[in-house]
Amino acid sequence: MNTPVRHASTRWIAAFGAAALGAGLLAGCTPATTDGGETSDELYIAVQDDPVCLDPQQVTLTTALNISRQLVDSLVDQDPETGEIVPWLADAFVASDTLKEFTFTLRDGVTFSDGSELTPETVKANFDALAALGSTAPLASQYLAGYQATEVVDESTVKVTFAEPNAQFLQGASTITLGMLSDETAALTAEERCLAPVGSGAFVLDEYTANDAVVLSAREGYGWGSSLRASSGDAAIKSITFAITPEPGVRTGGLQTGEFDMIFDLPAIDEQRFSTGDYEIYARANPGIPTSLVPNTERPIVSDPVVRQAMILATDRTEIAELTGSSMVQPVAGVLSSATPSFLDQADALTFDLDAAEQLLDDAGWKVGAEGTREKDGTPLTVSVTAFYGQDVLEATQVQLAKAGIDLKINMVTAGDFFGAVASKDFDFLSAGLTRTDPDALRVMLSPASEAHWAVIDDAELEAQLTAQAATADPVERTAILAEAQQRIVEQAYLVPLLEVAQVHASQKGVSGVAFDSSSRVNLYDVTVQR
Amino acid sequence: MNATLNALRYIAPKLAQFLFVVLATYTVVFLLVTFLPGDPLLAAIASKSGGDTVVDPETLERMREQYGLAGTPWEQYWHRLGMLAQGDLGISIATGQPVATMIARALPNSVEIAAIALVIAIIIAVVFTFLAFLAPTRWLRNLLLQIPPFGVAIPAFLTGLLLISFFSFTLGWLPSSGSRQPGSAILPAITLALPVGAILFQVFSAAVLEAQASQHVFTAVAKGVPPRRIFTAHLLRNALLPTITVLGLTIGYLAAGTAVVETVFSRDGIGRMTVNAVLARDVNVIQGIVLMVAAVYATVNLIVDLAYGVIDPRTRRSGRSAARGTQPETSQKEASA
Repeated sequence: MNTPVRHASTRWIAAFGAAALGAGLLAGCTPATTDGGETSDELYIAVQDDPVCLDPQQVTLTTALNISRQLVDSLVDQDPETGEIVPWLADAFVASDTLKEFTFTLRDGVTFSDGSELTPETVKANFDALAALGSTAPLASQYLAGYQATEVVDESTVKVTFAEPNAQFLQGASTITLGMLSDETAALTAEERCLAPVGSGAFVLDEYTANDAVVLSAREGYGWGSSLRASSGDAAIKSITFAITPEPGVRTGGLQTGEFDMIFDLPAIDEQRFSTGDYEIYARANPGIPTSLVPNTERPIVSDPVVRQAMILATDRTEIAELTGSSMVQPVAGVLSSATPSFLDQADALTFDLDAAEQLLDDAGWKVGAEGTREKDGTPLTVSVTAFYGQDVLEATQVQLAKAGIDLKINMVTAGDFFGAVASKDFDFLSAGLTRTDPDALRVMLSPASEAHWAVIDDAELEAQLTAQAATADPVERTAILAEAQQRIVEQAYLVPLLEVAQVHASQKGVSGVAFDSSSRVNLYDVTVQR
Repeated sequence: MNATLNALRYIAPKLAQFLFVVLATYTVVFLLVTFLPGDPLLAAIASKSGGDTVVDPETLERMREQYGLAGTPWEQYWHRLGMLAQGDLGISIATGQPVATMIARALPNSVEIAAIALVIAIIIAVVFTFLAFLAPTRWLRNLLLQIPPFGVAIPAFLTGLLLISFFSFTLGWLPSSGSRQPGSAILPAITLALPVGAILFQVFSAAVLEAQASQHVFTAVAKGVPPRRIFTAHLLRNALLPTITVLGLTIGYLAAGTAVVETVFSRDGIGRMTVNAVLARDVNVIQGIVLMVAAVYATVNLIVDLAYGVIDPRTRRSGRSAARGTQPETSQKEASA
């Protein structure tokens, strides 16, 4: 009786062994990743989002902007430290006193990767095409607000004219959004441009496979980097691969194992892990308006300035930054982000002071009710906030405001419903930030005259300040007006700033030369890679 | 002549059924995307433009025309059905590309991992069943029968991350993401194969063990036929029928599974495209994908129906209705140990 059993078990073990061996072979036949030599001329970067479109002039997605920055140059560049505008494709530039005319003298010998030359006609073709694209290029249409015409003055000079003063245009000309494309690209339809934009940048688009990768290669014969760049001539690295990797754990794991040289959008939770000597972390606050509560002052409770002021006092921005933000940037200290030119530090006015908040509300007749929420004439102090991202920030805020007896209801919606609420003014507060390199972001967000405004505010004094700054050419004078406007916004609590949002990236130690531009997008021209 | 007529009589109702499935799917999807709260156009452009979304009513109206979203739901229903009849799936609102182009681009990637996953799943099902069949002791057999259900119990999301962290990050054998490097399809395919293989195994092993208890197998054992020969000649064919039925249903599971797997492994494909389209409320893309999956599903089930006739000659005579769910040659009699 024993024999068949033993026989069966031998057979079984053999079969099992064969299966295991098969699995081993399957795994073993795949190639192992290899480690290269010392200096590499290839750069692998894992990015979070599929860029969808690579036309620098149309895109607004951060990843798409970061990639297309490498493909195009702009007329001017802006020093991210000082805010100073310096030459790039234009050797010289002049703004008229009225800020309605801007004259650029183009650099000689600039060519696009299709061989065509940069001429005043090219600049005209670019701006005219953008004006025609209108809201298909939402960012550009804001930089070009009031655009009238571009005039070719002579063979190297071009003049851009606006109907209204446009203080932000020169800065706008330094952005990726107003980067120059070849005549041929400018003539294409919006959809066609997305897939194959031709620029004069240090890199050329090799291949874009949606949801997979964007591959760029260095342009040969490049010699017109801005004076802000450390190197000159062709880029040191020959190719950049942006691997589209939405899963954060795969990005960080790939950075750890060396599969990626660099990753964009390092999650705040992983910052500690990569703060060792083996990695480099890059962080810069987004310029523009930090994540804030944006009021609709036509709503009953929100219309009361005392309530809004109490909300500013009752929110602890330091705690919000600790709980939800990157450890690489400071807590928000104003209604503009610290990376924005003309930023006014109002940390004192924005200091957390629960007692003062309670005093304000007590004095205004908001008495603490049965369940901790304040009431006045039977109306509970309940306001809602509509948002499509940053739920953690709002939850932290909710807990803080509850301590002052303010009941904040969080209404998380899709992006579409958010803008539906903006369009129909159906909200108490919105929660969002607005990334813009120019302090004009305040006008865009708060002025009823702005097409893209979100806040519902009726304040003649603020409106005058916002209009005046947009028409002031002198930087010192403009900063002074902007300072008044920022003070006014905090005094009247037209924004309740919550969190300064930062761009945080990480790379291997051997990667150097990664630079943020003034809009906190990445320029990779100076990058070298040691493996 | 008679044969052609017979074939037509056999195929025509199946073709009608196929069209009905597609039309019904179109209608249900249309109702879902139309009567969900919120504006699909705003949702799609907001997902593209983020904080810079334009809410100017005139622009929105113009775009509504452009993307076939203008008019009453009734008008839209017929308008889009008309487009569909001409093979036009419309234009994606979020990307501006034709939906057909997007699907054509993503489909091969998904088919690749789904096909590999299916092969692995079948191997898992057959190998585990074979081992369980040969298992010398009852406890070993029971143990083997309990292992594959883990494949269903563990979410694909977790399996995927575990496989990446072990095979890519620890051992460095396989790429963790994308489809750029060779071998990049293997880990996603394994992730997808585990639950599918587990389902197939459940059905296949149950069918094999049941067939094992039947009289003809008892006779074969008594005659001294070697176990391997019993497995291949006497059990396999009987166990195929229910397994093939499940295989047809598995296609739907594979299509859904790719959504998770392609996101975890950062691969382009139908699944990830679906997730993105749903997040962006990109109605034209959602509709295009669902219709495509419905068509594939209906086709596979048509093939399964036809396959019954090949596998089980009795169904050729009695028609397919008799075949479904019926176990041939089963016996209540317990096989002696």
